[in-house]
Amino acid sequence: MTPVLQVEELHHTYLRGTPFETVSLRGVNMEVHQGEIVSIIGPTGSGKSTLIQHLNGLIRPQEGNVFVLGQDLRDPDLDVKGLRRQVGMIFQTPEQQLFEQYVGDDIAFGPRNYGLDRTEVRQRVKKAMGMVGLGFEEFKDRLTFSLSGGEMRKVAIAGVLALEPRILVFDEPTCGLDPETSSEFLTKIKELRDEEEATIILVSHDMESVAQLADRIYVLLQGQSILEGTSRQLFSQAGLLRSYGLDAPQVGQVMHGLRHRGIKVRVDLLSVSEAEEEIGRCFDLSQRQAETGA
Amino acid sequence: MTEYSAFRHLTIGQYLPYGSVVHRLDPRFKILMLCLLMAAVAFATSYTASLILLIALLSIIHMSRVPVGYALQGLRPALPWIAIFAALQLIFYKGQYGPEPCSVVWSWGFISVTTCSLRLIALMVFRLLEFMLLISLLTLTTSTTELTHGLERLLSPLKRLRFPAHELAMVFTIALRFAPTLAGELERIMKAQASRGADFGEQGRLGFIRRTRNLLPLLVPLFLSALRRAEDLTLAMEARGYTGGRGRTSFIQLKALPSDYLALALVCVFCAIILVGNLESIDRQVFTAVSDCVRNVFGFVRR
Repeated sequence: MTPVLQVEELHHTYLRGTPFETVSLRGVNMEVHQGEIVSIIGPTGSGKSTLIQHLNGLIRPQEGNVFVLGQDLRDPDLDVKGLRRQVGMIFQTPEQQLFEQYVGDDIAFGPRNYGLDRTEVRQRVKKAMGMVGLGFEEFKDRLTFSLSGGEMRKVAIAGVLALEPRILVFDEPTCGLDPETSSEFLTKIKELRDEEEATIILVSHDMESVAQLADRIYVLLQGQSILEGTSRQLFSQAGLLRSYGLDAPQVGQVMHGLRHRGIKVRVDLLSVSEAEEEIGRCFDLSQRQAETGA
Repeated sequence: MTEYSAFRHLTIGQYLPYGSVVHRLDPRFKILMLCLLMAAVAFATSYTASLILLIALLSIIHMSRVPVGYALQGLRPALPWIAIFAALQLIFYKGQYGPEPCSVVWSWGFISVTTCSLRLIALMVFRLLEFMLLISLLTLTTSTTELTHGLERLLSPLKRLRFPAHELAMVFTIALRFAPTLAGELERIMKAQASRGADFGEQGRLGFIRRTRNLLPLLVPLFLSALRRAEDLTLAMEARGYTGGRGRTSFIQLKALPSDYLALALVCVFCAIILVGNLESIDRQVFTAVSDCVRNVFGFVRR
């Protein structure tokens, strides 16, 4: 199966040819298949944002190749607007891009830009609002700037979802949200993949949410993709991650700590419930050993 | 893609820390010199003077180690405007300009192009370019902190007249400090809206009204974030005990060196020559020489 998204040896330098030149990407390789949730992690300044801006043509490749849904991003005649409809981009703190007075209008901005007719726009707005969990009747005529931070972010995300993109790119979707709203967002993202069959790319600093969601992970360091693997493979190498300035999820850290103390637990665990089970198993085992010993 | 990073190419206001002779001058003196040179540019009414000024500016830029090409790049966004002004003047200017009486070169209906309007335009283009080069020269070689300290100190004698020198300098600093921040913010918002299918003149120019309306999705978020920033800044300043200029001491103590006085003296002499020297006569001499030459050549060809 051909990947929906392919990045090969991508290089990028900001403000090339000026005294402010800064190299951002120096060789990134990535492949994403239909229906995957792929996460990109890496310390600040590792080039994550630059990388994802290539995916919908906000930045064009200077060196190397990017193919998205069979389209070559280097092609100067590429229909960028068309591409942006298929690749939804949700930037960090997307609520700051809202501008319409009413919620419904803001969400309709995208579909209207593509010249869809009124009924189609309405339908899409309704559906998108449903997907983020905002009641259509209740919220469509609310004043955008009277909403709470979490609601505004939902509106902004709905504004992108209304384009019905096939690939969705999230840049730090839970940044600055309280834990409850944050886990609600993560569940929604998973639903988008499961129900809408969207392919999802997730950029995050929050290892817990990455562990919870991602099928595969790419690690970027100083503009290079240095590691790739399933979440389980990657997060079981806590030491390696730490040497790159990244942490494994807390669950993994606890398991590593236990292992270090000589308790033979598995370390490739991603969620609290998995850890609970594993620790329980070990505990039972040691109890049984104690009984037989006695 | 160049279309979104266009704002970052505005050279005016971007300090380049190269540490050259020009960089090391006292900011107060630099501001004074800027004013003097500005006056010289404004009152230069001959081609010779304009040319000398341009060459002088380019050599100062060269001395400051700022790539001349880079400084010139900052002029690019202004070129269309200069062209429009020039065209308007060319068509509509009818007054007397320069020492010689005007003669009509070409006319059609109420439009007439005279030797005077040609002269005016040539000098005006020179002047605008020199103004912009001057300002970018100052901001390219002087950090905003230096600039505002210099300005505040220069204006401080006016404090006795209750002139808010410190406040003015502070406003100036904040404006300069936040220009690149806002440019970055604008770029970010543009990218976000473009990701929702908004186009900003990418696909042809579909009429003025539509393009203006397209600005709304940029301006509303930009204003909101600017207001938010202003509020945060106020709180942050007050939290650190800022109450305005009274009794505020400064970490940076400006001290003039002999080299500063020397530079100022040189600039004074230079400006005096430009302003007082009879450079128009040189113009005239060059003109007559050139026209004689042309006439001779033509005569020669005809013969």
